[in-house]
Amino acid sequence: MPKTVSLFVPCFVDQLQPQVAIDTVKVLRRIGYTVHFPEDQTCCGQPAFNSGFWDEARPCAERFLKIFGASDVIVCPSGSCTSMVKSHYPELLKDTPSYNDAVTLGQRVYELSQFLIRVAQISDVGSWFPHSVTYHASCHATRELGIHDEPLTLLKNVRGLELRSLPHEEDCCGFGGTFSTKFGMISAAMGDTKAGNIEATKAEYVTSIDPSCLIHLAGIIGHTRRSSKPIHLASILAQEAQ
Amino acid sequence: MSTIPLQEFLRRATEKCADLTHRATIQRNIDSYDVAVAKGKQRFSDWEAARSRCSEIKAEAIAHLDRYLEQFEGKVKERGGHVFWAETAEDARQYIAGLAQSRGVKTIVKSKSMVTEEIHLSGALEKQGAAVWETDLGEYIVQLRNEPPYHIVTPAMHLTRVQIAQTFREKIPSEMNGEEPPQLVAAARRKLRKAFFSAEMGISGANFLVADAGMVAISTNEGNGRLTTTLPRIHVAITGIEKIIPRLSDLATLWPVLATAGTGQPITTYSTLIGGPRQPGETDGPEEFHVVLLDNGRSQVLASREHREMLKCIRCGACLNVCPVYRQIGGHAYGTTYQGPIGSVLTPNLKPSAGFEHLAFASSLCSACGSACPVRINLPHQLLLNRRDAMAKTGQSGSRTMFRLFRWTAMSSVRFRVMGWLSRKGISTAKALGIAGSKLDPMRPWTQYRNGPEVPTQTFREWWRTHGRQ
Amino acid sequence: MAGSNPQRERILARVRAATADNVPTTAPAASKAPIFAEIPDPLERFLRECAANLTEVICTRDSMESAAACDRVLQSLPPGELFFQDTPVFRSWASHVDSARTVRWSSGGPPSESTQATFTLAHGFVAQTGSILSSSLCGGRGASIVAPCHVVFGTTEQVVADIDAALQIANHDLLSASYVGLISGSSRTADIEKILVQGAHGPLRVVVILQAAS
Ligand code: SF4
Repeated sequence: MPKTVSLFVPCFVDQLQPQVAIDTVKVLRRIGYTVHFPEDQTCCGQPAFNSGFWDEARPCAERFLKIFGASDVIVCPSGSCTSMVKSHYPELLKDTPSYNDAVTLGQRVYELSQFLIRVAQISDVGSWFPHSVTYHASCHATRELGIHDEPLTLLKNVRGLELRSLPHEEDCCGFGGTFSTKFGMISAAMGDTKAGNIEATKAEYVTSIDPSCLIHLAGIIGHTRRSSKPIHLASILAQEAQ
Repeated sequence: MSTIPLQEFLRRATEKCADLTHRATIQRNIDSYDVAVAKGKQRFSDWEAARSRCSEIKAEAIAHLDRYLEQFEGKVKERGGHVFWAETAEDARQYIAGLAQSRGVKTIVKSKSMVTEEIHLSGALEKQGAAVWETDLGEYIVQLRNEPPYHIVTPAMHLTRVQIAQTFREKIPSEMNGEEPPQLVAAARRKLRKAFFSAEMGISGANFLVADAGMVAISTNEGNGRLTTTLPRIHVAITGIEKIIPRLSDLATLWPVLATAGTGQPITTYSTLIGGPRQPGETDGPEEFHVVLLDNGRSQVLASREHREMLKCIRCGACLNVCPVYRQIGGHAYGTTYQGPIGSVLTPNLKPSAGFEHLAFASSLCSACGSACPVRINLPHQLLLNRRDAMAKTGQSGSRTMFRLFRWTAMSSVRFRVMGWLSRKGISTAKALGIAGSKLDPMRPWTQYRNGPEVPTQTFREWWRTHGRQ
Repeated sequence: MAGSNPQRERILARVRAATADNVPTTAPAASKAPIFAEIPDPLERFLRECAANLTEVICTRDSMESAAACDRVLQSLPPGELFFQDTPVFRSWASHVDSARTVRWSSGGPPSESTQATFTLAHGFVAQTGSILSSSLCGGRGASIVAPCHVVFGTTEQVVADIDAALQIANHDLLSASYVGLISGSSRTADIEKILVQGAHGPLRVVVILQAAS
């Protein structure tokens, strides 16, 4: 049976953090999957939806359903964007002809760690990363998708990796999309609190399954001259054992 | 629409976000709350089932609100109590102030009630010459400081013992004989005891209105609720119409859940039910008992299928405690009676023209509130709905244009590539010019507080062109 | 104050119109999953919970021991007035009271501001939370709240497993009372820096004299 997955790459990952998607491809290929990337994809519509512009978000959602309609399994290296499709498309498309498609497609979308553990049933992808790492549990992944142990299980199986637990690991990093610019002072204060907790672990790296948290944390950590390095889970998993 | 609440919000939020002492005080408080609640939940064999049960009880009550309110009213009247229905804050104020005036009331003791804050009752009573004493310690402290409550459950959470001692030294020096918490509590007790024994009227809120028993349920730890409803000649209980619950037996779940979510306690020390004035043959108790049922926008929220669930709220305060925004900006920044997530959700719906739409946007949508809410109100979803409603209402032409452009971009991968290229060029140009973070930087809302992202030379889709096919 | 309240009709009309869509609400029966663990030994649990919520419990075997326990409590009290619920058991115990003290009976009115301790019965004791089920029928409303010390006398037969059982008693016997309440420990506050301080406005000390069932 051919093992194929379709890759859903969040718009900002495509533009600003391509390495996250590249590493996702590497990991998936390493465990024997063929990766398909529908090149017509753009943005899932979350920025408009979260800003209250549902009419602007709806066509993006419908477009997404068309592009990924034929895919059996869709994998995304972001909890937040996965949750947009899984948890919010049905609400957004309620009372439209696309509602049923939204519900059924939602059942086929997985965040990367969720896919690896629950679908591929692989908890060791054979990676090697000889560093201390702490894990930030991102909001939508934790509370909307119910992802708790999956990333930790994967991290524990990385050779050489020393996992350090993060105080208040489930507290928000402060990003929140347009919130980060509309209410920058609050967002930054939350980020600063998070960065302080990360610093307290003295870990070399802070990892997450949400690239947007990592962009925010990188910005805060750099701005406040702290030293932990944000890195996406996929990029740790992509490091080959030597 | 007024922009003053927004400007005030931004000003206060900016101030608090920079106040690291405030941040530490709140964090300390919340840390002990977290520990107590985690322990408290272990007393339940199934906390999630308890949440579901509470949610169902409240949903049922709200679905048949009319029936249960009438049932409640009938029972209270049977015991000789009065029930007054108030459509607006003004109606409720007038009724209570009129009552105080006609009965020659000079001294009033209050036990904690957020609804009296909502209708600004104390000011109205003081205006007609009555002395009004808040008797919940936290409320009393903020009253002495002329501040509104900082938190719906713990009104003085933002203050340290040193600040409280300072306030007491200034306001009630004769009662002071030490500055440690037990001595501060004793000072307040002495002062308020005189008020309790001289007051002619006691005003309380209600945590629940029990329909089948016709009783108001009031939870307090200090016992001030008991004294307020026992000693004065007149007892007035005021609360929102949504506080109704169908059955006395529902309290077997609601009391422990409220206490656990609120403070981590197994049950509040005094879980009290009041059904009327002193009955024939009873030793003591008020001669008059009045219940004021306040609408003040609630029936309007009820009319919205989408928003209705927010009326399930039991005001436990859990969503405030777990909210990372609340912890940074504190309770006063909101400028509302109800703070935190429930306040951001409720206020624009209870007071549609008061200009509080921005509160729904002042959230990272982290969902911590939704996971904490013991009656399963989907608070993050309500925030999203409020955002949608706000944008539909105000138009916000600037944002609308931006999101039209966003849609136009996202509807074609060619346009998406072009716009992506332009944005990346923008970021790297600002960096190259050395203006990143300065007033000239178009990315300033981001770069004012954070470094801008590193711009890669290649997008993923460019990489895919060369490496996509294996 | 009585008389017409036209707002009543308007509010009810709006409420009825708002809920006319009759969105089905899940019946409470839908979630009957147990929420609390069973309480195999209510008495043991009651004692444990009281220890945790700072209620003093004195277990006695018979009425002699109870009277003796009452004497010991009386001796520990500061000088001043006492208040008793007017029942035969307290009439007999009160005969031991030092004649220097003023004694008030619930039949003669409520306790006063300076009452040092109140003595009442209870309708039941709740194992789940270490609570006392009280009401205005237990010597009045003030009897359980105004004095710095509240002493309650009851028997182990009155111990019920949980709040639900206590509310059933309330539902059967106490709906005519103007006040019913569960009292779970001494008066307390944590409003200053979340530090627990006992003895806010109500009793600093709550004592239960619990006599074994005969
Ligand atoms: S919304 Fe929920 S968590 Fe917040 S105060 Fe109300 S009941 Fe408590």
